[in-house]
Amino acid sequence: MIIEKRMLSLVALGLCLPLITGCPKRSGDFGSDADTDLLSLDGGRDDIAMLPGSRDSLVGAGQRDHGLTAIQFDYDSAQIAASEQGKLRVVTEYMRRQSRVRLVVEGHCDERGSREYNTALGERRALAARAYLVGLGVRADRIHTRSYGEEKPSDPQHNESAWRANRRGEFVIYN
Amino acid sequence: MRGVNSLLVVLILGGVFCAAPAAGQAPIIVRKTSGRIAISVDGLRGSSSPEAQQFKRVLVADLDRFSWFEVNARGAVVFAADVDSSGGRLQVACRVMHRGSRRSYLNRTFAGAASQARQLAHEVHDALVKAVTGRRGIAATRIVMIGAAGNQSAKEVYLCDADGDGLQQLTRDKNVSLMPRWGPAGDRIVYTSYKSDFPDAYIVDLVSGRRERIAGFPGLNTGAEFFPDGDNMVLTLSKDGNPDLYALNLKSQRTTRLTRTRSAAETSPTVSPDGNQIAFVSDTSGRPQIYIMNRRGGERRRITLHGSENVAPDWGPDGRIVYSSRRFGRYQLFLYDPRTDKEQELTQEAVDHEDPSWAPDGRHVCYTREEAYRQQVYVLDTISRRSIRLTRYAGSWYAAAWSPW
Repeated sequence: MIIEKRMLSLVALGLCLPLITGCPKRSGDFGSDADTDLLSLDGGRDDIAMLPGSRDSLVGAGQRDHGLTAIQFDYDSAQIAASEQGKLRVVTEYMRRQSRVRLVVEGHCDERGSREYNTALGERRALAARAYLVGLGVRADRIHTRSYGEEKPSDPQHNESAWRANRRGEFVIYN
Repeated sequence: MRGVNSLLVVLILGGVFCAAPAAGQAPIIVRKTSGRIAISVDGLRGSSSPEAQQFKRVLVADLDRFSWFEVNARGAVVFAADVDSSGGRLQVACRVMHRGSRRSYLNRTFAGAASQARQLAHEVHDALVKAVTGRRGIAATRIVMIGAAGNQSAKEVYLCDADGDGLQQLTRDKNVSLMPRWGPAGDRIVYTSYKSDFPDAYIVDLVSGRRERIAGFPGLNTGAEFFPDGDNMVLTLSKDGNPDLYALNLKSQRTTRLTRTRSAAETSPTVSPDGNQIAFVSDTSGRPQIYIMNRRGGERRRITLHGSENVAPDWGPDGRIVYSSRRFGRYQLFLYDPRTDKEQELTQEAVDHEDPSWAPDGRHVCYTREEAYRQQVYVLDTISRRSIRLTRYAGSWYAAAWSPW
């Protein structure tokens, strides 16, 4: 099962890479780490993986009634499951049609595990969804991330079905 | 026989704390089971004013809470004090001596505003600990923590005294706050707030009340911890595409990347007392484990080999690291000593023990105890292993950090 998922993400990566490396490299905006040209297994080049330099365009609370469906994650995982890829294709189409909006991918976790670890896990979930969207062609500088870790459960109960609902990536649109 | 036992205990205590009495000082009689020094407080006399009564109550509670002493009418250490309350002032003339030899440990008068009776009691307790044991007491220190009181969605930063009283709300962000930590001089708190709708790191100056955003990069700005110089910090940022540790200089605002792991996250940094090393959590192995590296990054050494998860390290003043380790489905507190490469179990009860933080005495640890999804802060004495509840307020209280002296 795990191997299958890895294969799927490798396939997804294979699809993404030409797009990623095909992006024009922007200079000046993103600082100057020594090895920006390193390729990695899970995101492409550093300048693509890098978050947009400024959050100035993200004013207010953003829109959540856009009809986009949150993606779900497996326990302690930031992998984009095959079942969630269709939702990300819908997001990509939305971003293509609404060419001026910006997107915040919001990562959330269930309450198990330490808060600090979950804060980082939520961010990795948001970053994984972001990398996938960039792979599908959404411009990297239009997608921001925000992790709430386990701080904002969508279901406050303490059981398996609540935990499953809470391991999610939500989409927030900023005009 | 009793004398021999006592001497033995003094030697053991001396070995643990390096607190052997100065040459020529009378031996202290302690009970072998608890390592506590028996002290008589029958000579605590004076004014019946409410402030004087409060002073006595708080002092006797401190003696029990901080575990150096055990109140016992026949104790070898005799504490006598005249508490005088008049004109809005409280004056306490203290005398502490050894019962047998009549040797004096302390003979000093403490004074303060009557409204500060609790603070005065903490001050007297700490002076008493210092005079008899040579160690500094922690009754006058403070604790910072997160509280979700009433409205569960707002998680604010609060301060309280080391005995849990004197609760003070520090932030009113009406949003989520995370991971408060003290500056090395005890006059600043760094924490992460979502008040801008993103997790940015802020420093609050406790003297001026001023707040300043110190890190507002895209992505995470979390888990910030000071280096001992007070000008440099280490924190988790994800601006470059993955949660990694960075050093941040507060004066130049420059960040330096310390870790570079593409499919793992580095969090929860804690700095060694000499400022040369950083312990942190990383899940490069697949699960969160604790590692140590140089303050400038580079090679890392994994220090936790047992437990499915090891998180929340705090590097203590005497060089030992306390952390939370998942064993048989529960988080338990453990100690790791880098000098011996040995770990030691501190808790065993079948509840979760999380986010430990050392008191500056290197003996006590505050931590979050979670039972049936309810969180409260407790204080553990690492010698006797006794835990006492610190927070007695409604709601959830967690992520506590103990102030320096």
